[in-house]
Amino acid sequence: MRAPGAEDGLEVRDVVVRYRASRARDRAARDTVAVDGVSLHVAPGEIVALLGPSGCGKSSLLRAVAGLEPLAAGEVRFDGQDLAGVPVHRRRFGLMFQDGQLFPHRDVTRNVAYGLEASGTAGSERGARVAELLDAVGLAGYGSRAVTTLSGGERQRVALARALAPRPRLLLLDEPLSALDRGLRERLASELREVLTATGTTAVFVTHDHDEAFVVADRVAVMDRGRLLQVAPPEELWRAPASRRVAEFLGFQAFVPAAALPPGVLPDAGRPSRADLSPETVVAVGPAGLRLLPDIGEPLRAVEQGPLWQASVVGTAFRRGRAEVTVDVDLGSGPVRVVAVEEPALYDGVAADPAGRRRRPAVGEKVTIVLDPSGCALLPALR
Amino acid sequence: MFFAWPVVALVLRGFVADGAVDLGGFADVLSRPRTWRLVGLTLAQAGLGTVFSVLLGLPLAYVLYRRSFPGRGLVRGLVTVPFVLPTVVVGVAFRTLFVDDGLLGFLQLEETLAAIVVALVFFNVSVVTRTVGGLWERLDPRAEQAAAALGAGPWRVLRTVTLPSLGPAIASAASVVFLFCATAFGVVLVLGGVRYGTVETEIWVRTTQFLDLRSAAVLSVLQLLVITGALVASARARARQEAALALVGDRAPAAPLSWRSPGDVAAVLAAALVVGGLILVPLAGLVLRSFRGPGGGWGLENYVALGTTGGRNALVVTVWEAAGNSLRTAALATALALVVGGLVALVVSRRPRAATARRAVTLLDGLFMLPLGVSAVTVGFGFFITLDQPLGLPVDLRTSGLLVPIAQAVVAVPLVVRTVLPVLRAVDPRLREVAGVLGSSPGRVLRTVDLPLAARSLGLATGFAFAVSLGEFGATSFLARPDAATLPVVIFRLIGRPGPENYGMALAASVVLAVLTATVMMLAERLRGDRAGGEL
Repeated sequence: MRAPGAEDGLEVRDVVVRYRASRARDRAARDTVAVDGVSLHVAPGEIVALLGPSGCGKSSLLRAVAGLEPLAAGEVRFDGQDLAGVPVHRRRFGLMFQDGQLFPHRDVTRNVAYGLEASGTAGSERGARVAELLDAVGLAGYGSRAVTTLSGGERQRVALARALAPRPRLLLLDEPLSALDRGLRERLASELREVLTATGTTAVFVTHDHDEAFVVADRVAVMDRGRLLQVAPPEELWRAPASRRVAEFLGFQAFVPAAALPPGVLPDAGRPSRADLSPETVVAVGPAGLRLLPDIGEPLRAVEQGPLWQASVVGTAFRRGRAEVTVDVDLGSGPVRVVAVEEPALYDGVAADPAGRRRRPAVGEKVTIVLDPSGCALLPALR
Repeated sequence: MFFAWPVVALVLRGFVADGAVDLGGFADVLSRPRTWRLVGLTLAQAGLGTVFSVLLGLPLAYVLYRRSFPGRGLVRGLVTVPFVLPTVVVGVAFRTLFVDDGLLGFLQLEETLAAIVVALVFFNVSVVTRTVGGLWERLDPRAEQAAAALGAGPWRVLRTVTLPSLGPAIASAASVVFLFCATAFGVVLVLGGVRYGTVETEIWVRTTQFLDLRSAAVLSVLQLLVITGALVASARARARQEAALALVGDRAPAAPLSWRSPGDVAAVLAAALVVGGLILVPLAGLVLRSFRGPGGGWGLENYVALGTTGGRNALVVTVWEAAGNSLRTAALATALALVVGGLVALVVSRRPRAATARRAVTLLDGLFMLPLGVSAVTVGFGFFITLDQPLGLPVDLRTSGLLVPIAQAVVAVPLVVRTVLPVLRAVDPRLREVAGVLGSSPGRVLRTVDLPLAARSLGLATGFAFAVSLGEFGATSFLARPDAATLPVVIFRLIGRPGPENYGMALAASVVLAVLTATVMMLAERLRGDRAGGEL
């Protein structure tokens, strides 16, 4: 065995994937470039999420790595070996689709065993491996069930067990949880990470849901229009998005010139000190970067150093136990529509009505909102 | 090759005389009044047959696919029977009804256009019912419910919502039925006598009676033109149908029949008339008459006579031997059709990446549908004139005994393709990709994914191919040697010979053939199960 080195794992270099225009008439409109010169390294045992809006080319990149789409340019290497010319079935990768794609004519056991049969694993060893994997995905005892009788979540677990059974060198997951309902999706996302880390599986995981990406992956690669915008661990991505586009995709809702804010409120992200900020530096306001102040006549001490704005209420909603108020406000870069979150801690000592309810601001009412620096990030420059 | 080459050779025979392009044959044939009378008759009987098939098929489709009642499965099965019955058997059945002392002899329909049209409708009502019913069943009922909620009465809903949605299916069924009617051969030959004929029977008469190959070739070309037109119209209708319909994935639940609804009552009456009058009476009449001996008494005499070669040695082989021939030939033809049709379906089901390859696949698809339209007589005739020296080889295929199965396979291939192709197309390509990523070579993917998934439809296709080969008459009548005659050929020869023994034998043989075919189809239908296996 070779010693592990920088060449190990998956190496994607300048890969281009192109779809040919289907009809001669469209040919003039040029072929569609789905993946436009992407380079990415995935170390052994690492889980990387490809995150991006639908149609950004992330699935095409995954299919190109699997060998299901031809490369128009660039190369895909694994453990130093160029995979050009290695057909799909000889790559020893695993693949899992959004809707599982279980074989309808085989029961659970025979679905999981499919890859083992292909590699010629002996029967007894096969049975043991199938049982081991069904156990790992929490479906012990389901072996003889017909796949048509399984629920959506169970199907995806079987699909995961089937993909892992032949011990793939690399597991590719194409939106594996997107077809499930929210609660199940969140639960399965953490289970997925447990199973992948427990088996030491190297994996590339495609999703359009950032929460899912952050739960499952060691590093997240943000992709847009065929290009990689940023590759970073989740915390770093959140703390310091590389560009306005990345920040927008992560859900940052407003962008305020740093110069418009008073000193001392800027998020401390190991970024240059205020003196070093260029005039173009921008503060990105995160989804929880604005707080709603209770209407008690005077600013509270806890946030009194932050800048305050008067905003006009457009609507309110109650999500995850907190009121979220949509307001129109000018943060210093023109009027924008943003969401401010009610902070329960700020309401200590504020009178509630006899039933314990607080009054919700009505549409059209004026409210005060304040910036919460911990929910914001600094962008190096306006892009 | 076995289809295209004979047809091309046939077309050339029409255009070329003595090594030079010569349209004289066309001018000669086209200037005969008899030709135009035949073309008119062909169009008239095909048109009438189509109109009545659609009119009678629609209520039946409604009752069988949109309403539920006890015994629905049985009636659906019964309606399928005529479609696979050999044409010769149907011809004999109706002739038995209409002869002077027959059950419906008082109608004086023997050797009339009406008799032919009734027999054609008998065949094709099931095509309309199955095609339209299959769609009707999956039509999203919410559009009708929305119209009713907007104040439309049942008749208005039917006229403004349901029928327009069914339009493409009706058009598609009508064009197929027109095709079948225009190329009908056995029925016309048996029922039309000397007075009524079609282009199809004329080709046969020209070839076998007058040895006028040139006129036959010209007529075949004429026939091809008509059929290509009908096929194009059918393809257009099918494309529209796939494009513009709101279908529910599963069949909509059928409501029970209601005797309070005047619409339901009318539909049931019409359906009962079709099933009882059109389908049951001729079959029952045939079975009944087959038990009446030549002397007028009732018994099994006719069936006993099947072991002989008929009165005055009308046949070279006994009917049982012919039945054996039929089974052997059909088995061989089925095997051929399954291999060829299966491969074609496999190739056509793929969606290649390159545009040129995609176009080639579409072309192939259309090419293998042609035999469905090109009449069996044309195929048989084409074989007859080309295969004396296939590809210049000094092997006369005509005497080898392989020719009949090959010709029958050519006729059966489109049915196999149409049955298997939709199933293969419905397989998600990602299922194959998963199998590939899991380490299966393309060959193994085919064996472990495509084959098991298509297995049921292959079973159904086997049944179809076998039934069609068993009953095939048009091509076989050209090609079968007298000592290797099949059942339909023997039946036809028996009706043509004088003597009540021979007629009785023909009836008994028809019953035997019908039972054989129905058994095969029943076994195959079991394989279809709950899921529709294909378009037919």
